[in-house]
Amino acid sequence: MPSQPPLPPLLAPYLSTQPESSLTLVSSILGATSNWLVLRFLHAALSNSSNNASIGLEDSPDGKKKKVVFVSFLRGWEFWKAEAKRLGLDLTRLAGKQQFAYVDGLSELFTTPKPTGNTLPTLSTGSPAPARTTLPLRSQPGAVPGRTPAPASSPIGQGSTGGPSISEPGIAKKLNFAGQGLTALDKLERDISTVIAKFKTAEDDEILLIIDQPDFLLASTGPSYAIGATEMMDWVTGLQQAVHATVLTLAADSPLLHNAPAASNQMATPVESEHAAFAIGLAHRAQSVMQLRTLETGAARDVSGVLRISRGGGWSTGAEENLDEKELLFYIQRDGGVRVFGRGES
Amino acid sequence: MSFRKRNISLGTDRSAVPNATQTAPPEVTPGIRPSPDDGRPTTSTGAPSLDNLLAGHAGLPMGKSLLIEENGTTDFAGALLRYYAAEGIVQEQKVHVVAMPEQWGRSLPGLIGTAESLDEKRSDRRKDERMKIAWRYERLGEFGAGVAGARGAAAPSPSNAGEQDPNAKQPPAFCHAFDLTKRLAHPSITNMTFIPFIPAKDSPFPAILNRLETAISSSAANTIHRIVIPSLLNPTLYPPESCRPEYVLQFLHSLKALLNAYPARVTAMITFPLCLYPRSSGLVRWIELLNDGVIELCPFPHSADNLTTSGAATSQEEPPQGMLKTHRLPILHERGGGSDQNVGEDWAFTLSRRRFEIKPFSLPPAEGDTEAQDTAASSGMPKKSDLEF
Repeated sequence: MPSQPPLPPLLAPYLSTQPESSLTLVSSILGATSNWLVLRFLHAALSNSSNNASIGLEDSPDGKKKKVVFVSFLRGWEFWKAEAKRLGLDLTRLAGKQQFAYVDGLSELFTTPKPTGNTLPTLSTGSPAPARTTLPLRSQPGAVPGRTPAPASSPIGQGSTGGPSISEPGIAKKLNFAGQGLTALDKLERDISTVIAKFKTAEDDEILLIIDQPDFLLASTGPSYAIGATEMMDWVTGLQQAVHATVLTLAADSPLLHNAPAASNQMATPVESEHAAFAIGLAHRAQSVMQLRTLETGAARDVSGVLRISRGGGWSTGAEENLDEKELLFYIQRDGGVRVFGRGES
Repeated sequence: MSFRKRNISLGTDRSAVPNATQTAPPEVTPGIRPSPDDGRPTTSTGAPSLDNLLAGHAGLPMGKSLLIEENGTTDFAGALLRYYAAEGIVQEQKVHVVAMPEQWGRSLPGLIGTAESLDEKRSDRRKDERMKIAWRYERLGEFGAGVAGARGAAAPSPSNAGEQDPNAKQPPAFCHAFDLTKRLAHPSITNMTFIPFIPAKDSPFPAILNRLETAISSSAANTIHRIVIPSLLNPTLYPPESCRPEYVLQFLHSLKALLNAYPARVTAMITFPLCLYPRSSGLVRWIELLNDGVIELCPFPHSADNLTTSGAATSQEEPPQGMLKTHRLPILHERGGGSDQNVGEDWAFTLSRRRFEIKPFSLPPAEGDTEAQDTAASSGMPKKSDLEF
């Protein structure tokens, strides 16, 4: 099979233009994850400048620079870096050029970083992967045992430019959830917006914020932390204010969404009802919704799933008439290339 | 790119772990081999047919977790988990068992050789039945033998020379065969660690994570770890408050972070009882979403008389004991999913004394329904003379 262009032509208009202060919602399910689409969003926003840089031009022709802040809660930096490389994006280099910032919501979200005097035998033996990943463990400078909000006050110097050995290259910030309810969420919001603020050098920089599965945060905290759908919605709104446009992914499996009406005999648990409220609320606010599903008729060898693009509740009439609602099929090849086509085409 | 020297093979820098079939470089880690798909390091689950199922990688990729769900009260998933733990011990990896008493470690199945040796024995048995006319196709591989089987068979040289000195140039075995009726006796079995629950005021999981984290970070850089979590949230093992979503989801998220922090050294396998926590609940769906691979076992209801013949293609094969569904496979679904040759098949599994076998499920022709077949043969198809053109 021939290799595919990094941006499928049918999808390109949906990926490359996000109107100002818009929210794009990407929903995924267990068998059809959204990572490939997120990578295409990254590519659409970042690729021009990186191509130009490889030729020798530094800035894109119109003075606006597109920048991306990417928050991921479920997948690690290594994964995104490796997959982006398949598309020809060098995220580490882009991070160094202040075009891309990665906020790590996986590695230390619920574990407090330990100030270990870890002797690290890994460094000497030359096995690259463990050595690289254990570095940030050791080098958290202000890390304190116990859950104090100290990291919130001291993080600014810790970004990708703040000294070569301080943190893993490319990771601007590692999120840590501590405390209860709104204070904890506020702290996360503050952490992310410091990254954004530090990043925003010129006024007309277009910053795209991509948040990968913030719904996990909701599911893993819940009422006992005094965090519900409303608080999460406010959290998203707060982050949206600082950026040009937002892309947000969340899980839309039927147990998470359709248990809420409590049609079945079992009661909907807070995990389900809050998730449904969050997802539906966001869909009402979103400018467009991209749903990823598997085929209803079972698995096929040449189709990975269905992508449905529809207008969200926040659709602004008359803005972009060329974006119409569509249902497309996609197929992900072994090499990571994606083919997107309509039903009946191939 | 064009400045690269052309005669340097590209494969050497692609994976951190050197190919095990090459002439033994000193830093070969036993039990790790690169995936035939993209070269990432993989390790065996201890069951060759499960290895084959994992999206062309012929093993569980390092740094990934596999969730095995099971319906009903049987313990097929437990058998798979024992294979996984036993394989880890035989490969001298460090096995961490969460929440199980130490008796569990004594019930691991005994080693009876490498997986290839078992396959060879079986093919010897079949050799007599094979049609002699097809001798030249012998090496083309059996039907249904997957990637791992094909690679395993290709490694020893096919001629007599290979049989004379089988131990001389054999690469270290990737997967072993175990016998469930025997007990594993291996010097490194004492290396297993059992992590019990410590009663805690709130979540019992952080203590476990701490122990795992320290064990992994304090070990040497080439130690491979396996995290075994039998029957997650089973009330006989886990305190009642542990099934609160915030506790268990935070635990699995941190476990994912741990796997992510040591991407070349740790794998995990979790079994999960679906009869206690149905898949239609949001909590279970989140548990699934937090794992890299999700496999569901649906054993057939046990009634030995009815099922002895159904599903078996021939009388020599054992009848399947249940269906196996793959909901998510490592790597494949992380990229977006859905294009593997194994996805979408109906799988059936058979657990016998010596192997856990996963085969495509096919319903046999209804046996004992010979009347219908006869009538179908005589009347169903119109004879040639009946057709007029």
